[in-house]
Amino acid sequence: MKDTIPTAETASRRPEPAARGGRPRRRKLTFDRVTFFLAFLGVPLAIFVIFVLIPFGQAIFWGMTDWRGFSPDYNFVGFDNFTKMFQDDIFLKALRNVALLAAFVPLVTLTLALGVAVAITLGGPSKGPVRGIRGASFYRIISFFPYVVPAIIVGLIWAQMYDPNAGLLNGVLTGLGLDQFDTFAWLGEKAAAMPAVMFVIVWGLVGFYAVLFIAAIKGVPGELYEAAKIDGAGRFRTTISITLPAIRDSVQTAYIYLGIAALDAFVYVQAMVPNGGPDNSTLTISQRLFNVAFAKQQFGYATAMGVVLAAVTLVFAALVFLVNRLTGGGEGESKRKAPGSRARRAAAKGGAR
Amino acid sequence: MATVTFDKATRVYPGSTKPAVDGLDIDIADGEFLVLVGPSGCGKSTSLRMLAGLEDVNGGAIRIGDRDVTHLPPKDRDIAMVFQNYALYPHMSVADNMGFALKIAGVNKAEIRQKVEEAAKILDLTEYLDRKPKALSGGQRQRVAMGRAIVREPQVFLMDEPLSNLDAKLRVSTRTQIASLQRRLGITTVYVTHDQVEAMTMGDRVAVLKDGLLQQVDSPRNMYDKPANLFVAGFIGSPAMNLVEVPITDGGVKFGNSVVPVNRDALKAASDKGDRTVTVGVRPEHFDVVELNGGAAKTLSKDSADAPAGLAVSVNVVEETGADGYIYGTVEVGGETKDLVVRVSSRAVPEKGATVHVVPRPGEIHVFSSSTGERLTD
Repeated sequence: MKDTIPTAETASRRPEPAARGGRPRRRKLTFDRVTFFLAFLGVPLAIFVIFVLIPFGQAIFWGMTDWRGFSPDYNFVGFDNFTKMFQDDIFLKALRNVALLAAFVPLVTLTLALGVAVAITLGGPSKGPVRGIRGASFYRIISFFPYVVPAIIVGLIWAQMYDPNAGLLNGVLTGLGLDQFDTFAWLGEKAAAMPAVMFVIVWGLVGFYAVLFIAAIKGVPGELYEAAKIDGAGRFRTTISITLPAIRDSVQTAYIYLGIAALDAFVYVQAMVPNGGPDNSTLTISQRLFNVAFAKQQFGYATAMGVVLAAVTLVFAALVFLVNRLTGGGEGESKRKAPGSRARRAAAKGGAR
Repeated sequence: MATVTFDKATRVYPGSTKPAVDGLDIDIADGEFLVLVGPSGCGKSTSLRMLAGLEDVNGGAIRIGDRDVTHLPPKDRDIAMVFQNYALYPHMSVADNMGFALKIAGVNKAEIRQKVEEAAKILDLTEYLDRKPKALSGGQRQRVAMGRAIVREPQVFLMDEPLSNLDAKLRVSTRTQIASLQRRLGITTVYVTHDQVEAMTMGDRVAVLKDGLLQQVDSPRNMYDKPANLFVAGFIGSPAMNLVEVPITDGGVKFGNSVVPVNRDALKAASDKGDRTVTVGVRPEHFDVVELNGGAAKTLSKDSADAPAGLAVSVNVVEETGADGYIYGTVEVGGETKDLVVRVSSRAVPEKGATVHVVPRPGEIHVFSSSTGERLTD
């Protein structure tokens, strides 16, 4: 297999506009070009503006009203909803809870997913070709199973598993002789509820991200892993020093996806602990928003919460990008283009010697 | 420093019954530069990867020095490998790429830095040590890949077509650099290529493989002068050796209108097998053109005195490389047309479309059995 890594030469082989003769001219608006832009740019853009941007703007507006949802009357209240929100202990609790979810769920899920993916693709014997552990394809299918089950069903089934008296988990634990778990309420104890919820979310999502990482790892030229093998790197070392840097773009994307899913987590918590858990210890913003809107009919206030949740999500994504950038990822794509091309030219000269 | 031994090493890929490498038997001396060469799919890369530990060995053994490494993982074999696409770690600087193996081996930082800088100096990479591979040209990347192998000071270097991604000019100069570097370091090297020119110019010895079977291991000189069979004869040399099937006559073979004398033992060996013909191999430079006062023609006996000696070649193309000219023509042998390449002096090249007569120089012909392809003369 001859993978060609996109190289500096292939990139620089594309002639500069100047090399093609003068500055790039504006091309004629032919029927072909106009219809192309309409179909591939105009339509998606229109849909995006109508169904995403405008509702976003509306949400920000409604967040500054005391609209009750079922009447046309409302008063503009400015930032009252937001100041009220940050004095609301329950909302702050929910904010803390989603922060915990966003901190732990992506980290644990992706660590496990990476472990599974590495075992399936590269975890095989240290001699012979690079390959996965025995029965890799079997584990790959198995690991995907939880993701096939709809989240609401995952939540409902695990709620039953966690049941203090009739649940499978306590049944197994007492069967093993751990009698203190006889009637342990996993979702009813303040200390256990949040980890129990996190476990279910992780359980439900690991398989998908394992499959994602398997694809990413297979996209890396196999010679790289072979070179690492010959250099004497073991499985753990290869994973940290070679595999992870090679798939860091996939990891970043997955981290953001998962962060957004964890910040929401509505389906899982609503299925398992619809009341917010003991002392609101599993309450999420989305759950709080749902109750404020549909139980208390404070749509204006709920919309404001939605705006805050969106802001939190953006901050999370920005953090992920920042961390990735600070640890040396994603460099040289846009910012360092100029020195890069200069380097290539110098390199070409050096190579010709 | 160590010897390398392939002892009937065999590799059968799962799901296939035909071995990719079939009972490979080669002894490589300490410090030797051995080149594995053959057409694609001949098992040369597989052989190298078996030695690297990147491919399982289904039969036989592989030894480095006195150690049986057949079932050792790559990291315990004390080898370094240069890959075709270099396999540089894209996220590491040149220095980190070269020092990675030492870092894993637990060598302290100062020593790694020192060794990397030494290797960089040898390879003219000093100013690029902080660059990432993607900011390097193809030739520089190739040198980094070499450097990564050198800093480890392994017992054996393995190189898998390391020059095939370079342009023609750079390939020629790098070829010489690698060969001289290897002589200087004195590290046993196994080098895989499909390019017979590379094989002939770089190797102390060359091993030709075909369909997983070793055809011949010998010095480039002997490989050229005494190819062991038809395959090696046709593979080694550029332009390739002319192989013509000719009938056996009394005391020699009939080459057109001339009788070329051939060792009696060779003819006897052929006729003992029941063959009425043998395949004669003549390199392009070993033909004499009758029209250009070919010396050999006069010494050969002719069948019919009035016709010109030798084979009639109708010239299709004449290639002039400056130093030499090559005639690409067709001949009719035994009712079949065959392509023939003849080297002539660049000062006297025949016209396109002309017909010339050629005879081989008697001492310079290779005789192979038509049925088995084995060499008959020595």
